Order: sequence, then structure tokens, then C-alpha cells
Amino acid sequence: MSDTILNMVIYLAALEGNALIIAVIGYLIVLLALVMLSWVFNLIPALIKIRIQPKKRNLTNHGHEEALTGEVSAAISMALYLYFNQYHDEESRNLTIKRESRLYSPWSSKIYQVRNQFNRP
Amino acid sequence: MKKFLLVLSIITLLGILHSTLHKANAFNPGREGQSIEMKSAGQPGIMKSLTRGVIKFFNYTGFRNLTLGHFIMIVVGLLFIYLAIKYNYEPLLLIPIGTGIIIGNIPFITQSAGVTMGLWQPGDPGLQLGVYEPGSVLNYLYFGVLKGIYPPLIFLGIGAMTDFSALISNPRLMILGAAAQVGIFLTFLGALLLGFDYASAGAIGIIGGADGPTAIFLSSKLANGWFMQNGEMVYEQSRNLIGPIAIAAYSYMALVPVIQPPVMRLLTTRKQRMIKMKPPRAVSRNEKIMFPIIGLILTTLISPSALPLLGMLFFGNILKESGVTNRLAETARTSLIDIVTMVLGLTVGASTQADIFLTPRSLLIFLLGAISFILATAGGVVFAHIMNIFLPESKKINPLIGAAGVSAVPDSARVVQNMGLKEDPGNHLLMHAMAPNVAGVIGSAVAAGLLLGFLM
Repeated sequence: MSDTILNMVIYLAALEGNALIIAVIGYLIVLLALVMLSWVFNLIPALIKIRIQPKKRNLTNHGHEEALTGEVSAAISMALYLYFNQYHDEESRNLTIKRESRLYSPWSSKIYQVRNQFNRP
Repeated sequence: MKKFLLVLSIITLLGILHSTLHKANAFNPGREGQSIEMKSAGQPGIMKSLTRGVIKFFNYTGFRNLTLGHFIMIVVGLLFIYLAIKYNYEPLLLIPIGTGIIIGNIPFITQSAGVTMGLWQPGDPGLQLGVYEPGSVLNYLYFGVLKGIYPPLIFLGIGAMTDFSALISNPRLMILGAAAQVGIFLTFLGALLLGFDYASAGAIGIIGGADGPTAIFLSSKLANGWFMQNGEMVYEQSRNLIGPIAIAAYSYMALVPVIQPPVMRLLTTRKQRMIKMKPPRAVSRNEKIMFPIIGLILTTLISPSALPLLGMLFFGNILKESGVTNRLAETARTSLIDIVTMVLGLTVGASTQADIFLTPRSLLIFLLGAISFILATAGGVVFAHIMNIFLPESKKINPLIGAAGVSAVPDSARVVQNMGLKEDPGNHLLMHAMAPNVAGVIGSAVAAGLLLGFLM
């Protein structure tokens, strides 16, 4: 097994243009590019914080910089959504009578308005 | 795993069938380039011309020109459509590609065959139907693939729809996106070992980036069939690998939910799969705006050859995050990307004409593509283990998210989420996995640029 791998490496190294070098250098450059991007973005929050710190001094909760967790954000969002979008509980409380256009309905039938007497034998 | 083996065995079976039977030409033995002889001599005048007309019509039909290769490719196209509808594997890609494969393999009389049959003179344009025939509608649409126009437009749309917050909130996860690109470079070496030339090997390697547009972009530059011979540019159809590479890349992207889980399970223990990570922090608007600008400058300075891809990706993201170009961002992430996806999928599918696509090289490319995906997934997971060695106990990362470092946005992140939930129903890894996932897009584009620079 190790011999086969060694033979492959020798073959690749002997290829014109040095395939192994292209592969290794190429991979290292991709890694380097993203490590640099990662490093820059590790620094950015700190840089932004330095810039905005003087403004923060006037705030009452200065020093309390704990980030909101996902659950807290979700609860606040839900509360705001309910407050702004749920109008169901706020009703006018005015009672209105809708005029019935149909000529006959059991609800408006006169026969039901008269008190029915028992038919005693 | 069963589904993957089923799909792979069907494709292999079709390939073997073709290679063993194509010499016998089971459907049309001995009829290649020949028209059916007139056997109507001696018949009365009207009948004679009627028979001649029917025979001429038959010569033009697809039934007359159907070969086993076309039939196999039509079955592959139907398989793609079946996988998309039945298993919901990347339907936005597989439906256009599957339909394109069927369109590209409906046989017709090509210009050269028509000349052999005596239907046209050598200078005649022919029917101008096929994707490879100059002047045909499909050929015009295929121009965008050949010249690498569609991939940057797709990247523009991807940029306009991607939220990089997960990446910005935990930048060290970007390294996983780079780690998974090991698949590209190992497959490049593998292709060289199998006898491909440098440029073709580079184009095949990029399949491991699990990014269809990047694969098409690189193959249109490195494996478009044109090469230098004795100081002159020469075209050789067998060196045009755009079709096989694009089909392999998109097929394996669609099969991410089948390919990745076994590799992830093999390289992690149950305890490791259950590691819970802290929820990502909130990201400010300024950070979101700064990311594409810094990303654009930094990555393209390192790999200028990736400018068409990365430039468009970050441009799309600036449109989204600036907050003042919502109309443009909306168009880029909806109408534009939809139109380009349809045309790209259809023409890539149509480029798989049996006589050009069904070769032993295509089968090798499919094999290397599968290995490439497996290596990329393994690379990401192993690198996550290595990172965990150096991280304190409270900041350990779940090694499953390393597998999302292969681009395949957002399928590989979804696979990670599902695997995490299987072990612990309360462990949601999607947002964490999105970080290496989108970093993988950047990483594969940088790798494509580098290969282009090295091998062009």
C-alpha cells in the first residue's frame, strides 16, 4: 500500500509542471485567503466598538454589553408582532342591528312572536 | 446509501451497455449516414411519388436516426426528472438538465450526416437544430456556457440572496470552507494519475468544489476543446469536457443528501455529533455592508482570475446589504437567477449529445467527481476535529458542520442540520453550518481562479 502511494507521489512529482507543487500551493493559498478574511472579521467588531465607545458612555446601561440570545430576540419579536398586528381584542363594543332584506325568515316570523298556548284537552 | 448505490449502478449499467453494444449499433445496424434505399421501382406514378415522400419523411424522423446512445441518454434524462420529482433532489437544477438531456438526444440529421446521405451540399447549413450546430437557437444559448457568461450571472443572484451573518458572527468557521476544498486539489492529482492533461485535470478537480457555476466557468476556460499544437490553436471534440463536468457537478450536488451522511458518520462519534454550539451573535448592519467590500478586495487581490465569479458574488451582496438598491437586489435574486438557471440547465443538458457525451472519459469524470465529493466532505470534517484540539471546551465546534464546507448551498447545511437533529432533537446546527457553507462558495471560487492562473 505504502509502495503504491510512494510510486504515485514519484509519478506526480516527475510530471512536467510539478503537479504536487500546484496542488499544495493552490490549497495553501485558498486556506490563506479565508484565514485572512476570518482574521479581518475577527478584528472588525473590536474596531467598531472602539469607534462607538464614547457615545455609549451616556447610556444608562453602560457596561452591560451582553449580547441578546436567540430566544430573547424571538420573544421580543413575538411580543412586538402581537402588539402591532393582533387587533382582535380591541373592539368598538357598539351593538348594531342588521336589517334583514329577506321577506321571510323563521326569526322574523310572526307566528313565533305569539305565545303558543297549550292545547288542553 | 441504498438510493446512491441504485443511482450509481443504473448509470454504470447504462455506460457498460453503451460501450459493449455501440459497435453492434443495435437500433440501426449499418444505417449510419445512409438513407433507406428506394424500393418503389416499377410502381405507378402517383404511388411512386407518395412512397418517395413517405420515405423522405421517415429519413428525417427521430425514429430513423435513433441509436442506442441516444436511447441511453434519454433514459438518463428521465432518471434526472424522476429523482427531482420523487426525492426532491435539487429540482431547480435536475428538471432543466433532465429536460435538456432529452432535447439534446432527440436524434435528427446533422449537417455532416445530411451531406453523406446526399440531402445537402457540403456548404449548406443543414437543419441548424443541435446545440453544436452553428446558427441554431440552442447553439446561441450554449454560447453563454462556452464563454462562461452564465456562471457570473448566477453568482450575482447567489450574492443577492445570501446572508453572510452566520459567517460574520463566527469568522473562524470560514476556515472550514477552505479546508473542504482539499477535494479539488486531490481530485486534480487523481485525474493526472488517470492520464488526463493538466488543463482537463484542473477542470475535473473543481467538481469537488460542489459548485455548478464554478465548475462550468472553469471547464469553459480549461476544457473547452481548444488547445495549442505546434503554435496553433486546434479544436478537438474529445477534449471538450464542459458537458460531462457540468453534469457530474450538478448530479453530485443533487445527491449531497445521499453522499455526505455515510462519510460524516464514519468520521465522527455519537458524542461528537451531539456537541452543542453557542447561538451566533447578532451582526450589525455596518458589518454586513463591510463584509462584501472587504471580501471582494481581499480575495480578488489574492486570486485575480476569480474576479468574474467573486466580483459578481460580492456585488450581488452589496446590492442586498446596502439597503438602498432593493429593486436591483430583488431582480438579481429572483427573475435574473431564475432565467439564467433555466437557460443554463437546459443547454448544459442539451450538450450531452450521445455521440459526444458517452465516452469512457465521461465515465472516468463521473468516478472522479464522486471521489472528489467524498474527499471534500472528509476534509471538512477532519479539519473541524483538528480545530477542536486547539479550542477551549466551551468553544468546541460540532465536527458535522465541517461537511458543509463543500459549497452546495444550502443542501449540505441542511444535511448537517438533519444529522444533528437525529442525534439530539434539540441541537439545531443549521445557522452554524451556513457559515462554512457560504465560505465554501468563496473558497471554491478562489480555488477555481488559482487553477485558472496555474493552468491556462
